Amino acid sequence: MDQPYESTAHADHEHKPHGWRRWVFATNHKDIGTMYLIFAGVMFFLGGAAAMAIRAQLFKSGMELFDPGMYNSLVTMHALLMIFGAVMPAWVGLANWMIPMQIGAPDMALPRLNNLSFWILPFAGTLLLSSFFVPGGAPAGGWTMYPPLMEQFGASFPMVVFAIHLLGISSILGAINVVVTILNLRAPGMTLLRMPLFVWAWLITAYLLIAVMPVLAGAVTMLLTDHFFGTSFFNAAGGGSPVMFMHIFWFFGHPEVYILILPAFGVISEIIPTFSRKPLFGYEAMVYATASIAFLSFIVWGHHMFTVGMPVAAQLFFMLSTMLIAVPTGVKVFNWAATMWRGSLSFEPPMLFAVAFLFLFTIGGFSGLMLALVPSDYQYHGTYFVVAHFHYVLVPGAVFAIIGAIYYWLPKWSGRMYDMRLAKWHFWLSVISVNVLFFPQHFLGLAGMPRRISDYAPQFTDWNMVSSIGGFVFGASQLLFPYIIWRCIRSGKPAEARPWEGARGLEWELPSPAPYHSWQTPPSEAVLAHGAEH
Amino acid sequence: MFFSGACALSLGIGALFASVGLWPILPAAGLEMILLGWALHASLARRHQAEILTITDCDVCVESRDRSRSCQVLFQRHWAQVKLLCPASRLHPSRLTIESHGRRCEVGGFLTEEERRGLALRLRRLIGRVNESPPLTVGR
Repeated sequence: MDQPYESTAHADHEHKPHGWRRWVFATNHKDIGTMYLIFAGVMFFLGGAAAMAIRAQLFKSGMELFDPGMYNSLVTMHALLMIFGAVMPAWVGLANWMIPMQIGAPDMALPRLNNLSFWILPFAGTLLLSSFFVPGGAPAGGWTMYPPLMEQFGASFPMVVFAIHLLGISSILGAINVVVTILNLRAPGMTLLRMPLFVWAWLITAYLLIAVMPVLAGAVTMLLTDHFFGTSFFNAAGGGSPVMFMHIFWFFGHPEVYILILPAFGVISEIIPTFSRKPLFGYEAMVYATASIAFLSFIVWGHHMFTVGMPVAAQLFFMLSTMLIAVPTGVKVFNWAATMWRGSLSFEPPMLFAVAFLFLFTIGGFSGLMLALVPSDYQYHGTYFVVAHFHYVLVPGAVFAIIGAIYYWLPKWSGRMYDMRLAKWHFWLSVISVNVLFFPQHFLGLAGMPRRISDYAPQFTDWNMVSSIGGFVFGASQLLFPYIIWRCIRSGKPAEARPWEGARGLEWELPSPAPYHSWQTPPSEAVLAHGAEH
Repeated sequence: MFFSGACALSLGIGALFASVGLWPILPAAGLEMILLGWALHASLARRHQAEILTITDCDVCVESRDRSRSCQVLFQRHWAQVKLLCPASRLHPSRLTIESHGRRCEVGGFLTEEERRGLALRLRRLIGRVNESPPLTVGR
C-alpha cells in the first residue's frame, strides 16, 4: 500500500488557551481585539470622569471645586485619555476583530507584533495617569503640548512625553499590522474594490497613521531635548521658534482627526446599507472620497493657527484647502442619504446611532466650515465654539460610530442578542443629552467665552448650567452600555449567523459566535459572492 | 507600490522638516519605514512557507519549503520515532521532532501549542514507535 498520507497540520479544532496565559500571550485577533476594546472602555470612563469634573467646575460661575492648575490638568488628561486611550484603541480593537473576518483571513498578519502593540497600551496609560501623583501634578498645557508652557510642568512633563511615545509606537505597530494584513492576507477573489468599506477606511487610516506618527514622535522628542539637553528647536532664546512646534503639531494633529473619524465612515457605510436593505450607493465614490479626505488632511493644518500671524497667501491657501474637504465629505453624506432613500428602513440600535451620526457629524462639519473661514475664525478662535465644533465631530461622530459598531457586531462576537429596549434607551438618552451638552457651547463661544478657563464671567452661567446638566446625563447614560454588553454576554438570546436581515459581507457567513479560529481555509468564490449579495 | 508610496511620503515629510532644522522627525520616519518594510517582507515570505509530511509504508518524508528553497529529509518509517520535547520553562513552546539513526528534524514550529500536540498524537498513530510500523489506513 504505497498511497501517501499527507498530514495537514490544520485539522479541525476549536482549541483555545485558558487562564491568564490566554490574554497575556494572546496572538488570536479576536482576543486581542477584545482586550483593545476593554482597554478603550476603561479609558473612556476615566476620560469621562475627567469630563464630569470639568462640567461640575463649570456648572456655575465661581464654583472653585478645583484650583485652576488642577482644572487645566483635567482638561489636558481628558483629551489625551479620550484621543489616545479611548477612541484610537477602540478603532484598533474593532479592526482586530473585524478585518480578518471581513477579508477572509485566518488572523492578523503579525500576531506577536499584535500582542506587543496591545500590551504597550496599559503601561502607557498607567504612566499617563500616574502623572497626577508626581510633584506639580499632571501636565496642564493642553493636549497640544505647546512650548514653552508644556515644559513648565516638572516631573510630569517627561512622563507624558514618554507615554505619548509609547502610545505612538503602539499605534504604529497596529497600523503596520493592519496594512500588512489587508495587503497580503486577503482571501483569493477579495480584490481591493470588493473589500468592505470598513476595511478600506482602515487601510487609508493606517496609511495616515504611518505617515504622521513619526512627526508627533519627533515633535515630542524635540520638546524633551529642548528641556533636558539644551537644544533650541522651539526655544526662541536659542534661535528656535515655538511657532514651528505649532506647525509640526498640527501637521500631525489634523490627520489625527481623520485617523479618529475615517474608520467611523467605514462603520457607517456598513450599518446604513444593512438597515436600509440596499447595497451602498456609490461604493467606488466612497472609496475615492475617503482617500481624497486623507490626502487633503495633509494640507490643511494651518487652519488651526490662523491667528498666530501668517501671510495672507498662506491663510488663503489653508482656508480654501480646508473648505475643499467639504466636497468629498459631502459625497459621503449624500451617498449615505441616497442609500437610505427608498430603502426598507428599520431602526435597530446600530442604525439609530448611524442616523444620529449622519445628522450630528454634519453639524460638526458645518461649524468646521465656519471655522475654516479666516475672518470668522479670528472671532471664534480659542472660544467654546471650537470646543462645540470638535466635540460634535468626535462624540456623536467617532464615539457614536464606535457604539454603533459594537451594537452591530456584538451578536457576531458573543453569539447572543442584547436587550434592544435598553439599547434604545441608551441611544435616546445619549442623543438628547449630547445635544444639550454641546449645542449651548456654540452660543457660549459666539458670546466670547474662552476655552480652557476654570471660571468665567457670570453672564455665561445659564448656558453652562444647561451644558453641564447635559454632560451629567450623557455621562450617566453611558453606564448603560457596559451593563447592556454584560447582560448580553451572560443571558442574551442566541443570535443567528446573520442576525440582521440585510447584512452583507464575509463576517456574516461565519456562525455566531464567530469561531475562535475563523477562515482557516480561505472562503470560496461562492461564499464571497453569497456574502456580498445576500 | 504601496511601500514605495509610504516611503516617499513619510521620508519626504521627514526631509521637509529636516530642511528647516527639525531633523529628529527623519530618523523616526526612517525607523518606521524599516519596520514596515520588514513586516511586509516577513508576511510575504511566510506566504510561501510550508511543511509537508508524507507518510508511506516505508518512509516518512519531511519537506520544508520557503520562498527561495525547498529541502527534504527522509526517514525509514520502521525506525522513525516522534518526540514532543517539553520546554524547560512553561513560557517556551514545546518542540516536535521526528528522529531516526541519529538524525532529527523539527516539524510544526509555526503551530500553536495545542495544534502541535494534536499533530504529535496523529504522527505517533501513523508512524508508531521505534521498530514499529502500524498499518496505514486510508483516510485522515
